[in-house]
Amino acid sequence: MASCIYFCDNKGKVILSRRYRDDVPPSAIEKFPSLLLEAEQESSIVPPCLTHNGVQYLFIQHNDIYVLTMSRSLSINVAQVFSFLYKLVEVLAEYVKTVEEESIRDNFVIIYELLDEMLDYGIPQITETKMLKQYITQKSYKLIKSAKKSKNVIRPPSQLTKSVSWRPEGITYKKNEAFLDVTESINMLITASGQVLRSEILGKVNVRSRLSGMPDLKLGLNDKGIFTSVESASSSEATEGKKSNIELEDLKFHQCVRLSKFENEKIITFIPPDGDFELMNYRLSTPIKPLIWCDAKIQVHSQSRIEIHCRAKAQIKKKSTANNVEILIPVPEDADSPKFRYSHGSLKYVPEKSAILWKIKTFNGGKEYSFAAQLGLPSMTDAEVPRAKRPIQVKFQIPYFTTSGIQVRYLKINEPKLQYQSYPWVRYITQSGDDYTIRTA
Amino acid sequence: MEKMLKKFIQNATRVAPKISKKGELFELRNGLVSQYPQTRKDAIKKTIQQMTLGKDVSSLFPDILKNIATSDVEQKKLVYLYVMNYAETHPELCILAVNTFVSDAQDTNPLIRCMAIRTMSMIRVDKILEYVEIPLRKTLQDDNPYVRKTAVICVAKLFALNKELCQELGVLEDLISALEDSNPMVVANAIAALSDIYEADESVVPLPKLIQSHVSQFLLALNECTEWARIIILGALAEYTAKDSLEAQEIIDRVTPHLQHVNAAVVLASIKVVIKNLPQVQANTESPIFSKLSSALVSLMSTPPEMQYVALRNIRIVLEKYPHILSRELRIFYVKFNDPLYVKLEKIDTLVRLVDPSNLKQCTLLLAELKEYAMEFEPEFVSRAILALSQLGVKYSEPKFITKVLEIIIELCNTRDSFQDDCLVAMCNLLRHAGPDQEGMVTQVCSLAEAWSSVENLLQTDYAKCNYIWLLGQFPQKFNNVERKLQASIDSFTQEESLTQMSLLISVVKLHSILPGSMLQNLLELATTSTDEVDVRDMAIMYWRCLSVESSHDGLINELCNSSLPEIATTLDTFSPELLETLLRELSLLSSVYFKPVSTMTKPKSSSGNHLKGKQLDELQFMAQDEILKNMNEDNLLDFDNDWPAASNSNYKSEAQGSTVDYLNDIFGLSSPAPPVENSMADLSLNKKDEKQKSSNTQDLLDLF
Repeated sequence: MASCIYFCDNKGKVILSRRYRDDVPPSAIEKFPSLLLEAEQESSIVPPCLTHNGVQYLFIQHNDIYVLTMSRSLSINVAQVFSFLYKLVEVLAEYVKTVEEESIRDNFVIIYELLDEMLDYGIPQITETKMLKQYITQKSYKLIKSAKKSKNVIRPPSQLTKSVSWRPEGITYKKNEAFLDVTESINMLITASGQVLRSEILGKVNVRSRLSGMPDLKLGLNDKGIFTSVESASSSEATEGKKSNIELEDLKFHQCVRLSKFENEKIITFIPPDGDFELMNYRLSTPIKPLIWCDAKIQVHSQSRIEIHCRAKAQIKKKSTANNVEILIPVPEDADSPKFRYSHGSLKYVPEKSAILWKIKTFNGGKEYSFAAQLGLPSMTDAEVPRAKRPIQVKFQIPYFTTSGIQVRYLKINEPKLQYQSYPWVRYITQSGDDYTIRTA
Repeated sequence: MEKMLKKFIQNATRVAPKISKKGELFELRNGLVSQYPQTRKDAIKKTIQQMTLGKDVSSLFPDILKNIATSDVEQKKLVYLYVMNYAETHPELCILAVNTFVSDAQDTNPLIRCMAIRTMSMIRVDKILEYVEIPLRKTLQDDNPYVRKTAVICVAKLFALNKELCQELGVLEDLISALEDSNPMVVANAIAALSDIYEADESVVPLPKLIQSHVSQFLLALNECTEWARIIILGALAEYTAKDSLEAQEIIDRVTPHLQHVNAAVVLASIKVVIKNLPQVQANTESPIFSKLSSALVSLMSTPPEMQYVALRNIRIVLEKYPHILSRELRIFYVKFNDPLYVKLEKIDTLVRLVDPSNLKQCTLLLAELKEYAMEFEPEFVSRAILALSQLGVKYSEPKFITKVLEIIIELCNTRDSFQDDCLVAMCNLLRHAGPDQEGMVTQVCSLAEAWSSVENLLQTDYAKCNYIWLLGQFPQKFNNVERKLQASIDSFTQEESLTQMSLLISVVKLHSILPGSMLQNLLELATTSTDEVDVRDMAIMYWRCLSVESSHDGLINELCNSSLPEIATTLDTFSPELLETLLRELSLLSSVYFKPVSTMTKPKSSSGNHLKGKQLDELQFMAQDEILKNMNEDNLLDFDNDWPAASNSNYKSEAQGSTVDYLNDIFGLSSPAPPVENSMADLSLNKKDEKQKSSNTQDLLDLF
């Protein structure tokens, strides 16, 4: 189990700490900065777990801080530790917006409170922000007032330890709505010759629930493995047979989804937390063609100039549009005096990234644009300094469209006690993932 | 109207004085005893802030304590936090807080009850512990599950603080009965507390038996609890061995739904349980459970890098047991541009391991990918990619394919400046696998090495030099002027490390008939007199003896020289079967990331009796170890710290170092006398395979006996 939680700045100096056990001496943290430094000097490989003197240092990085935990034991569940540290950052972000050095210093009181509640003796306890916010609030003055009434003293919500630990009772909305956002992120690796080496779709369904009471929801998708419902499968087979059903891999569900029900009956049912949450995510590794195709011819005339000819094409339906397309093309670090010729979007040389950034606000389906650029290279160079080979990176968003073809067939909302009318809304969007890259020759 | 105005003014003009930001002790002290509650609270906050910054504010203890009786929950929390931090420095004052603790533990608000019992059981002061009995007992039986789940953990805390007291009070029995609690969160915390106690002292609670008798409860609770509780319960289930295949199947069926949980730690914990039960159900490789496992493992690759790292290290273990489980998922493990380096390296390792050697298309694909990696920038990454290229060649094991690999490596060697070491090692591995009759390959490699002008400066690592000399010794006819090349190495003999020295000995002895006798004589003298390495010296002496009896046993030396090398079948290191089984049992634990079973670690002996003194000693020990390690050679320090990724070259050294530290432990007499040797043994067994290839020459020598 974790012995303590430390928040450290980017040098490894402590900002805030909470110790849960005595087995790791308080002085052990002092070694952390030098451990980091040593690991960096030895090689650039700094794994997220370091050992020194029998003390295990496990840490993640977030913005400008390290979140660190220590333990004496090799039998600590390291997957749980990392999972928890990320969750911790996530929860803090909901309290203090951005989790960074300054915000931690400013909000130490609430962070101590949260650390007390989320971890007990190094064992993770409650991490549902919705529930934590019920009894750990920033507005402490409220507490003083309610304390006087003595009846309304804050206490842990009774739901906390029940099987639906993520939703308090007694939520009411005037208008009952549920919004579904289906977002698909495309990761793709393309060789310089245009061959797709790897492609994957990372999809997720986010829900914003604004529903009263304890509603029970049932989600129908056009997945082969997921039965839309018993009746529709039999009666409307003729009509639905035409629509292609897809098969999702690696479905992962929020803890509110009844997993065993899904396993046995392939039905997604759940009582949602209030507000925003990620209901499910999935992955598809079916081969897909590049949605934004990009071909760059880069000619380096060493010691004089570099010429780039780039073409990009939106390989999507004519009706669709790709928004905020950004194509980042690497150029040598010592390039200068850029000259551009282009017809669409905006072209900029970004010296701090050593790259050219081509931005196209709207990119209609089927269209093809191009640009030509020329940059000067210094006539004197260090003889053959090895250069990092960096790929071209592409970013885009395509609304009203999913690459996989996933569709929400229905979202049934049923609140047994209140029986209200409710409105589900669905939105689709496809965007680039964090790794949509084209290798340069 | 007037009333409202009055109220507004009253609110606007705050009477209570504010505490300035400086946080001077005297100011805080005045603030803490102020007549205005608001000022007092401000002062408490400022005090905690100073504490957070690392300043010693323990002198304010009595003043803080005056504020403990309050109805403001937040203030109470802060005071408790302070008390917890500084109780040890003011044990005599703590007694003043006891009354509040005891009465808070009976508060109507469950939050307060929890806080009281949680804080009380954390304070290392005997006097407080004397009062803990009644509140702890009461809270263990509390109506509110939120309180109970806190109380069960308090038992583990109490046990860590004072084992005897904990046993005397008999709360352990309460803890055990909490396993049958109706609330899954209480059950999970009870398991966690029991495991903690069991780890500290196996004789106190019969944990394996308890798990045995509660399996059905655990399976039931699994569906109804928080993600963290699931991880704990799954962890307990993984300890359980099913009675028969039927039960094993049932456990698998109950656990598989959780492979689809969004929390990666839950997924990994579920994988562990399934793998534990798999051997008993005798599933064939076509069984759907394997595809479920495979997709669960793959899904771990879309998590943050730290988690991916854990997953990749665990996949490495799983792959050794079930090599085909991921063979269709090669592309998932392709390196991403943004991956941190430590993830990239693990991915390369995984790629080579999971590629199916009977699938030419897949192997060719991977070859192209690895080639791409080898053109990258980061040195560690490129080195690893070059090694992977040779591993892949050896794994696919077909002359044409190996030729292709070899060509890539030779091209790399020619175009890039700084990777000769890695390339040479990779090429030698390929040659050793292909066997000496692959004339074409041998010529290619040798002509490349022939062209190098000053090998002494070109090659950096011991391992690469050793391979170079092996090459000279193995194929002398391919080189012009072998004599001069060997002489250059002999000249720097004393500066070389042991692998090169041994390799040099072997090669020179092997070629003694074509080299001038003085050279051999010179080398043998050097090796027997000017090296500290016992192995090298022994080897030289043995050769010397063999050579001096040559006249009578002519065959012996010939046999020595002309022995053919055993072919290397794989350059991927593997675990010993026992180690593999242990690691499979410890999946998702830190030990599985280090590939070091928990049992190899010396347990920090929990010092019963005098806590405070024990703690100081602990601290002192830590500092002393620190100091000693600091004074040692820095290179060695790193080897010692994480000798798992480092090559085993320095095994001898880390061993020596290990014993120094253990020696220190003996002085303090605190840590159990256990396994320094075992520890290094584990290292050895892990690296054995590796070592075998590295010192292949040594191996040959051994083969002769």
